[in-house]
Amino acid sequence: MNSKEKIVILGGGQSAVYAAKEIRNYDNKVEITIISEENVLAYERPPLSKEYITNKKKLDDFIFFNSEFYSKNNINYLKNTKIINIDFQNKILFSQNNNQFLYDKLLVATGSLNRKIDPNIKNNYNKFLSLRNNEDSDNIKNKLKESKKVLIIGGGFIGLEIASSANELDKEVYVVEMNDQLMGRSIPKKISNLCKKIHEENGNKIYLNTTIKKINFYNNSYEIKLSNEEIIFVDLVILGIGSIANTELFKNKDIKIDNGIITNEYCETSQKDVYAAGDVSNFFHPFYNKYIRLESYQHAQNHGICAAKNILGIKEAYNSIPWMWSDQLNINIQLTGLCDDFDEILQRGENIEEGVIDFFIKDKEIKGACGIGVKGKIGRDIKLASKILEKKLKINVSNILDKNFNLSKMLKKV
Amino acid sequence: MNNENLNWHFVQDSDGIEDEDIIRFDLDDKTFCIYKLQDGFYATDGICTHEAVHLEDGLVMDDEIECPMHQGIFNIKSGKALSPPACDDLKTYPVKVEDNKIYIQIS
Ligand SMILES: Cc1cc2nc3c(=O)[nH]c(=O)nc-3n(C[C@H](O)[C@H](O)[C@H](O)COP(=O)(O)OP(=O)(O)OC[C@H]3O[C@@H](n4cnc5c(N)ncnc54)[C@H](O)[C@@H]3O)c2cc1C
Ligand code: FES
Repeated sequence: MNSKEKIVILGGGQSAVYAAKEIRNYDNKVEITIISEENVLAYERPPLSKEYITNKKKLDDFIFFNSEFYSKNNINYLKNTKIINIDFQNKILFSQNNNQFLYDKLLVATGSLNRKIDPNIKNNYNKFLSLRNNEDSDNIKNKLKESKKVLIIGGGFIGLEIASSANELDKEVYVVEMNDQLMGRSIPKKISNLCKKIHEENGNKIYLNTTIKKINFYNNSYEIKLSNEEIIFVDLVILGIGSIANTELFKNKDIKIDNGIITNEYCETSQKDVYAAGDVSNFFHPFYNKYIRLESYQHAQNHGICAAKNILGIKEAYNSIPWMWSDQLNINIQLTGLCDDFDEILQRGENIEEGVIDFFIKDKEIKGACGIGVKGKIGRDIKLASKILEKKLKINVSNILDKNFNLSKMLKKV
Repeated sequence: MNNENLNWHFVQDSDGIEDEDIIRFDLDDKTFCIYKLQDGFYATDGICTHEAVHLEDGLVMDDEIECPMHQGIFNIKSGKALSPPACDDLKTYPVKVEDNKIYIQIS
């Protein structure tokens, strides 16, 4: 790249900062600017629903890189700067505080936005909390201090992680989920039911196939009528009804959007010199030969790194096998690959203590694996599953079923 | 020789241990991992520096150990944290094998 070229990275999350770091690894001359609406340097989001709420970690413990890192690497980091408009033709970003930023290459890494629906609760929406950033987590933490009973609307990952943290803080927790299982369709039902059982054993009350019919607010307390006619009283309501790609800025702009910004395997969007990475992008995955949008820690980082290379002209296709985790109560859930296209499911492990993993098999190949277990008990096999599936190795059913068979042997045979 | 004096602690026999195997070793209230790599045995603290999970359930790949919780990666020989969310290094310990017996030095 021409040394005077300006690379602008829009967003202050994981994808953004790892992209900046990678660009600098390869090129010490180009101008790099990160623009973030947040007023703190980029940090990991997973602790926001977990150790930050339970006071086991402070924000400083999970900042990706400190300010010295950015100055040492000559990366301009603009905090408190929300971009509200974009002119692709003239390559200009416009901020809320009336500044303009020119770019030669732009990486969009604006992440996700929390979903705000459910007409029955709309009137009360402003009173409810939701979680996306550190300020939201501070709010939840403070409100939890004054609350005894908490309702979480939505049984997705983040909702259940908050439920787990609230449980740890000795709150009475209710989770209401409209579907017939927790954590949506991305997690197989069996694994999701095992997770539900753990929550229930720890005292959390979980309602499936249930919606909120009515909410009344009296004397700092909510009376909640559920669709099964049950009435519960709580002093705090948290919404965790999923998220969507944060493409607000691109409404009516000349860039292809469909469940996120469409990108090819090189992180390129339909707009020249504009790339996208992380939660915001619905990317083409050559291994699966389809478009996928992921909200996961590992993906955000790897995708940002891949975008950085492509921005610099080092052509590299993004082919990472998806992987994500969730920690709830004393358990860890992990998912690798895709678990939606299979002709057989093989279960490895019998109980939570040793870990239970479902392997999704098609044409004798692993396509995905999802497991739940006491912390540390599933990670090894999940990682081996992703290596085996990446190599498209044919499996032997009895080896997968036999917990005593070391799956790494399958990799050594080749 | 007197192993105790030099803070060498007997772990177990080295027979039958394959490359990439991990042995957990507990001493008082401390816990360690001993790894068999191609060029010998190495040891680190047993608990991941990110959160309290034991690395005995992790995956050894070449000279690296990957944590089973969040795939944080450490170099086994240097203890260096190589991949987030792990960012603090692991402590490493000398290991020796004498007469098919593995010892770890904990001072
Ligand atoms: C509470 C929580 C818990 C999670 N737990 C896990 C977990 O346990 N495991 C896991 O694998 N994943 C987890 N995730 C998901 C993971 O954190 C995300 O996938 C990852 O953060 C995505 O990174 P990103 O860089 O794409 O976007 P983000 O991290 O969301 O960053 C987007 C950035 O862009 C900024 N931005 C957006 N629009 C503008 C604008 N117009 N102008 C300026 N700045 C803008 C935002 O403020 C933000 O700083 C969790 C997410 C959350 C919210
Ligand atoms: S506990 Fe080891 S990486 Fe998180």
